[in-house]
Amino acid sequence: MKRLGLIALVLMLAGGMVAFAGGAPEADTAVAEDNLERSLEVDISGLRSADGQTLLPELSSKQVPPRPDNPRSLPETDPLHWYDMEYLGWGVAEKINIPDSPADGAIGKRVIAIINGDHPYLTAYSNGMQKIADAYSMDLTVLSPNWDLAEQNQMLDEAINERPDMIILVPLDARVAIQQVRRVNRAGVPIILSNMLPEEEAMQYAIAWTGPDDWGQFREMARVWADELGRSGGVAYIRHAPGGSPYFARTYGPITELAEYAPDIETLDMQAPGFEAEATMQVVSDWLTRFGDRLTGIGLADDSAQAIGTIEALRRAGREDVLVIAAGNSKVGMDMVQDGDLLAITYQSAEADGAVALKTAVDWFNGLDVDPVLYIPKQVITQENVEDFMPAQW
Amino acid sequence: MPSQTDVVTFVNRYRILLLLALVFLFMALFAPRFLNMFNMTIIMKSASLNAMAAIGFTIVLICGHLDLSVSSTISLGAVLVIGFRPDLGWSGAIVAAVAAGGVVGLVNGLLVAKARIHSFIVTIGTLTIVQGIIYVYTGGAALNVTGALDFALADFLEDPILLFFPPRVIITILVIVGFEVFFLRTKPGRNFYMVGGNRETAWLAGVKADAYVIWAFIISGCAAALSGALFAIGISSATTDLGVNSLMIIVAATIIGGASMNGGKGQVLYSGIAVLMLTVLFNGLNRFGVGSEFRILASGVILASVVLYEAYSNYKKERIRGQRPELLKELDPQQLKNVASSLKTRKLQE
Repeated sequence: MKRLGLIALVLMLAGGMVAFAGGAPEADTAVAEDNLERSLEVDISGLRSADGQTLLPELSSKQVPPRPDNPRSLPETDPLHWYDMEYLGWGVAEKINIPDSPADGAIGKRVIAIINGDHPYLTAYSNGMQKIADAYSMDLTVLSPNWDLAEQNQMLDEAINERPDMIILVPLDARVAIQQVRRVNRAGVPIILSNMLPEEEAMQYAIAWTGPDDWGQFREMARVWADELGRSGGVAYIRHAPGGSPYFARTYGPITELAEYAPDIETLDMQAPGFEAEATMQVVSDWLTRFGDRLTGIGLADDSAQAIGTIEALRRAGREDVLVIAAGNSKVGMDMVQDGDLLAITYQSAEADGAVALKTAVDWFNGLDVDPVLYIPKQVITQENVEDFMPAQW
Repeated sequence: MPSQTDVVTFVNRYRILLLLALVFLFMALFAPRFLNMFNMTIIMKSASLNAMAAIGFTIVLICGHLDLSVSSTISLGAVLVIGFRPDLGWSGAIVAAVAAGGVVGLVNGLLVAKARIHSFIVTIGTLTIVQGIIYVYTGGAALNVTGALDFALADFLEDPILLFFPPRVIITILVIVGFEVFFLRTKPGRNFYMVGGNRETAWLAGVKADAYVIWAFIISGCAAALSGALFAIGISSATTDLGVNSLMIIVAATIIGGASMNGGKGQVLYSGIAVLMLTVLFNGLNRFGVGSEFRILASGVILASVVLYEAYSNYKKERIRGQRPELLKELDPQQLKNVASSLKTRKLQE
């Protein structure tokens, strides 16, 4: 009983302190009257990313075809089967409870970005975001839950508690994002989603989604791959982490593209061993034993650990003839393209990815119209143009 | 005026409460935007997932075993409750998810108690198997529900109904208190301690040790699955790796809460409070804007400090206890001190 009494006392003390502290979060400071004018005058065209490229070049556009009645009824090799993933966000008929833009400029605004984990790409992503924040004198905080969903939820709640002017979220999982975004939306805090595509329903609670056109860039790269393969042979795929949009885009993007562009190329297998070089090496070695000369190409969801494991397995088996493509563009991947180990990687500027998300927030603070989906530019890097993208961002 | 021994005894007995109070006070004084109702709710909700799972882990530890499968059982409870929801409704899905956790615990318990395989090996195996089952069941993707009623239930579970306590947290507190009362106030509850503390004594007292070990694992499985299920209902979705990062926190909290790796010692209430203390710490560190690496470091430092303190206390006790503990019971603390110092002198002379 004594113990329970002590616990009750501790809880009462905590409660008392909370009550004394006041409870409700404070409002942020008001911006100056000429904020909007000054904000609109900020010129960011001279900003560069670490690889020397323009930080924010003109964003990619995308042709959006009409949605079939039931995309899922189509075969998986039909690009329209994946319609709801590839064109996600474009079809949201009505946004729910989106706050009106204050239209008072971005300067001095407080933004909390919650990414999904610690990764060199996301470090570069945060750097790109910080460059925009510096240009507009914004107060930016970037938080990482280190791939832990419970932690990301806690951070979202904590961010709501801070009452920032905007939350930018890189979802850990497409489906979980619905309730996460809905919760922020309910609290009346504007939110922009970035990098990882959520489920369509999440988009109705968010101002916009920004990030790479994963499907589009893998389609482009698949054509380069098919040409080098002579539009025939057998290919296999090392996939991204299950659950996220790249898991599907980086496998079914090339599969559906090849089905139209090079139908003689056969898909032999697809596996998701994670992002350990050793695990990938094991899978590729198994493929080489199982498929032998039928295996002529490998598509990777990552150009770092997965590429290291794949190239090592091919080297050990003496199969340097297998043409490998990967999602890029890390230093490891760029070096491998330069050395001829990888045929091609995608140019996905991590800094631009972060920068576009915050620039979209800037546009919203400035009262400008914001598209529901904004893609960063896409390009294919091969041995011919790799020098243009050196040094790598991450 | 209390003697030094009284203070040491008090600190030993209430160390987790004192740690919680210290961490809370520090954060309240220095961490920005820490002390408000909304943040208290966040802390309570965040602690709830691991606190519920820590119940079972503590009970298994009291019995002298380990249950490393709690992490994947949390994920199992989460994916099953969301997966079964369309066919069984919420109540049926919760029962099915908790029962599945119980089955995992039963398998663990049988293999440990009857097949005499070390619990570390058994539960590492079931951890992997259950994770595999989850991947097969979900196809690797997260599951979710998006109906208006599902969202309403999620909002109900997550929004506070009393101060900063949402229903999910209240359920966790009730379950913890229920188990605490059961273990400290009932004979079957105390028997768990006897089984873990001294299996031979338990056997001589007519306690069926194997049955208690099996039940400990079943409770652990059910508690882990329930914690995952409630968390999943609260976010209307479940990921395949929800519980992966929970294991380290649960292990750390249970040890910090006073449970012994040798069995026979520990309290579910204190494990729950230790989870709360770590959550307050992580939340406060977030308020300072430090990275996840510092949160891991901080919990490691606390765990190491507690383990070192525990080792030091045990060392001191062993030195004082000597070979005839029954004689020492008759001595008062001052006399005990004198005995210790004379033993020290004799050792030096030797």
